[in-house]
Amino acid sequence: MNDNIHSLIGAYAVDAVTPDERADFDAHLAACEDCATELVGLREAAATLGAAEATAPPAALRARVMDQVGRTAQLPPVAGDDARVTPRAEVTGASSPRERRGWPRLAVAAAVAAVLAVGGLAGSTLLGQRDSTSEDQRALEKDVMMVTSAPDAHAMDLGLGSAHLVMSDKMGSVVAMGEDCPEPEDGMEYQLWVVMEDGSKHAGPTFMPDPDGSFMTLMEMDMEGVAAFAVTEEPAGGSDQPTTDVVAEVGL
Amino acid sequence: MTDDAEGQVSADGRLSAVPGGDPEQRRDGDPLGDLLIRTGRGDQAAFEEVYDALAGAVHGLALRIVRDPQLAEDVAQEALVEVWRVAARFRPEQGSARSFVLTIAHRRAVDRVRSEQSHADRLLTHGPRHAVAAAEQADHPEQVVEAIDAQWRAARVRKGLAALTPLQREALELTYYKGYTNRQLAESLGIPLGTAKARIRDAMIRLRDTWEGTR
Repeated sequence: MNDNIHSLIGAYAVDAVTPDERADFDAHLAACEDCATELVGLREAAATLGAAEATAPPAALRARVMDQVGRTAQLPPVAGDDARVTPRAEVTGASSPRERRGWPRLAVAAAVAAVLAVGGLAGSTLLGQRDSTSEDQRALEKDVMMVTSAPDAHAMDLGLGSAHLVMSDKMGSVVAMGEDCPEPEDGMEYQLWVVMEDGSKHAGPTFMPDPDGSFMTLMEMDMEGVAAFAVTEEPAGGSDQPTTDVVAEVGL
Repeated sequence: MTDDAEGQVSADGRLSAVPGGDPEQRRDGDPLGDLLIRTGRGDQAAFEEVYDALAGAVHGLALRIVRDPQLAEDVAQEALVEVWRVAARFRPEQGSARSFVLTIAHRRAVDRVRSEQSHADRLLTHGPRHAVAAAEQADHPEQVVEAIDAQWRAARVRKGLAALTPLQREALELTYYKGYTNRQLAESLGIPLGTAKARIRDAMIRLRDTWEGTR
């Protein structure tokens, strides 16, 4: 059987396999260093064939791809990679470092209370919200796309399912979006927080994942003095200050 | 296969023949690989550079395989968004960025052409494509080779293909460019399955080794 599967390497390299054969060979590949090594070369050869077909792609393709990319969450790296992410499991344990650190008890300075712009986008515009109209959703998607495609857009793992945070100084906005987001506790919603360098926290929008775990939310704000973003679970409607432990956090 | 050992040895040598293939080069000088890594971290500006470098190949390959321009555009879009989605899984030690991207594109295109074909129920029952290919193979093998050559423009590619036997070229034409599985290849050519698998593999090894020599 092993000989048989090994002989499939050429067919596998040019995708001349059925889904079953592909799965079998994938499994074989994980265990067979010879095949893995040989496959690198065969794939490069296949790529050379493919690259020879290069044409000028239709001009409209680029915008469509970038638009879709702006709305498409990425898979996280395979385990073992850089993990700035705070997995949920780590922060719920009673003795976890995160929980002990807790929230700094600092009052919100009135002077900086206005970090969150009061534009139509500030607050809880969100895709997953069940009562939001499709018009709202389209507007949100468009705004999210503009943020994520801004030249200075910068993305970071959020650690809530496959969620990531995309921020753009230029657009003065932060987007949180992702898939595979776990449901919050009954009666709770997620809420995004802006953590300032002085430790103060400013309430951001609340959001709920779709039944399939995807969500998208956007917040307009000034990035000046921002140290981190955090997510907590809060009672429906959100809170002025966090009332529960952080379930995900990203430092800048 | 007898060239197993040789294949491994030359795998290392050949790596340097491919842009970004050399491990040293990759660490220091595969800009596309670096861009793809940054893409995997959510850097959309990096993705745009990957797009600019490889969208032409992705689209061209899709067009070559699915033929229909609208379909090709759809396939290219799906493939490129998929690159964005899975970029964090890119491992430079497992191949170049170009190879990573075109593997995704090729698989998408082949999957699409197969589902189109199975919807139309053409491939196995009526099989105009393989019937034509088989007829050409039987009666005018030179024409098949010529037609293929006309489309395989790049000089480097032509050199690689020239090193193949007509049967090997045909095997790649039917699999890589038309989406046949190894079993469909065997059936359409009336050859044993083991022969079909070996022919594809031999063809790819020959291409790999020829391109290694051209550098």
